[in-house]
Amino acid sequence: MTELRTLAAEAAAAEGGTRPLVALIGADQAPLLARPYFAGGEPGPIAAALAQVPELLEVAMPFLGAVLGPSAVGLRTKEMVILRTSARASCRYCIDSHTVVARDAGLSLTEVRALRGELDATAVFVDAGDRAVIGWCDALVGTGPVAAEAKATLLASFADHEVVELTLLATTTLLLNRFCTSLDLPSSPEVVDRLAAEGLR
Amino acid sequence: MTAATAAVAAGVLGDRVWMYSNYHCNMACTYCLTDSAPSSPRRQLSAEAMVTVARQAAELGFGALGVTGGEPFLRPDLPETVATMAGILPTVVLSNATQFTGSRIERLRPLVDADVAVQISLDWADAEANDDLRAPDNYARVVDAVPRLVDMGIRVRIGTTLDPDAEVSDEDKARLCTLHRSLGVSDDHHVVRPIVRRGRAAAFDMGVRATAADLPPELTITTDGAFSSPFGPTVRDGVLDTDLLVTRTTDPLATPATALARIVGKLPPGDDAGLGIR
Repeated sequence: MTELRTLAAEAAAAEGGTRPLVALIGADQAPLLARPYFAGGEPGPIAAALAQVPELLEVAMPFLGAVLGPSAVGLRTKEMVILRTSARASCRYCIDSHTVVARDAGLSLTEVRALRGELDATAVFVDAGDRAVIGWCDALVGTGPVAAEAKATLLASFADHEVVELTLLATTTLLLNRFCTSLDLPSSPEVVDRLAAEGLR
Repeated sequence: MTAATAAVAAGVLGDRVWMYSNYHCNMACTYCLTDSAPSSPRRQLSAEAMVTVARQAAELGFGALGVTGGEPFLRPDLPETVATMAGILPTVVLSNATQFTGSRIERLRPLVDADVAVQISLDWADAEANDDLRAPDNYARVVDAVPRLVDMGIRVRIGTTLDPDAEVSDEDKARLCTLHRSLGVSDDHHVVRPIVRRGRAAAFDMGVRATAADLPPELTITTDGAFSSPFGPTVRDGVLDTDLLVTRTTDPLATPATALARIVGKLPPGDDAGLGIR
């Protein structure tokens, strides 16, 4: 059993026995195309799961990195999108992971709680742009046509290229939400400890 | 010309495409790479898939095919399938020769006059040493089957796998060569390699350690995906190794072939010659 499998099992035990649906590939079993993603150590459960299909990993990871990583839209706004969308989609793994990232991106405990749906977001976020982002995420999580009001609100605060990026970010987050939830990916012990220390878990 | 075709033409990629026809075996050799045994899951490539790989390999510029397992001849459809493949590219099939007793050898009639060689495992010139790591009566079955296959007009190669930690004298090697010559197999058709420390051999702490760079890149197709070497899709304690996995996609064959060509270009020089893994 690889170190990662051991870590995953520990994390799973901490979460009440949840185990990944599939084996998470460890560094010692990393397929040839996946090895660059293991060069710095265990890459995390999303990459470790994707390593099961290395030809998908090598296109998915750069895509995810480009969409979720640094870009023209600021990190704070991007983490608002990811955390809000994940909370609406009830993805435990993504909520845990991005609560930590959101805190590191400068979002306060109160703001994080609001994005997670534990507080009234409209009361916590007063900036029009922030409210538009939250409204956009809430609209995208649903099914069918996106509400005209959400569109108008977003366009009032963001340029077209930012709308495209925020939309791709939210919808990619939804993809990851279902991926992580359906595969029961475990939160890392470090994330669990950090959340516990901040009273967020 | 595709990247894979260019890599084959340049000798960067091995000329032969291997296929694991199945993983189950009537034997359970101590050094088996794939942990094969009678109870192993079959994980069988369909005959149609094998012929498709053969056709696509030819289109991509590969020059030869190989079939291994498991024991391929446990499959009733194997002779016909290999004969079809051999009509596309020259084919070698690895076997333990235990399925050719008595009249059962007639099953191999489709291989007569086909561009096929059956490579039979024979490690030692005496039964006790040979059967110790393989199976009881394996030696007797091999020395019975080989001359009968040769008489049928089927090309036979002898494959010898040696424990690098075992004391193998020059006399032992000479006796083995005398034996295969007496069975009708010339020195040109005798291949020797060391046990590689993967699969069950690793569990028994046997064999040479070989990295991806040490193993000559030969595209290898299994029901679990494409690997960089026939030493890649090994199984230990029932779990498939993925460290030499190239892609899960095997059709079209260009997908793993192109990926492997790309990978090989980045690998450092290995020691396949020094380790004798050819």
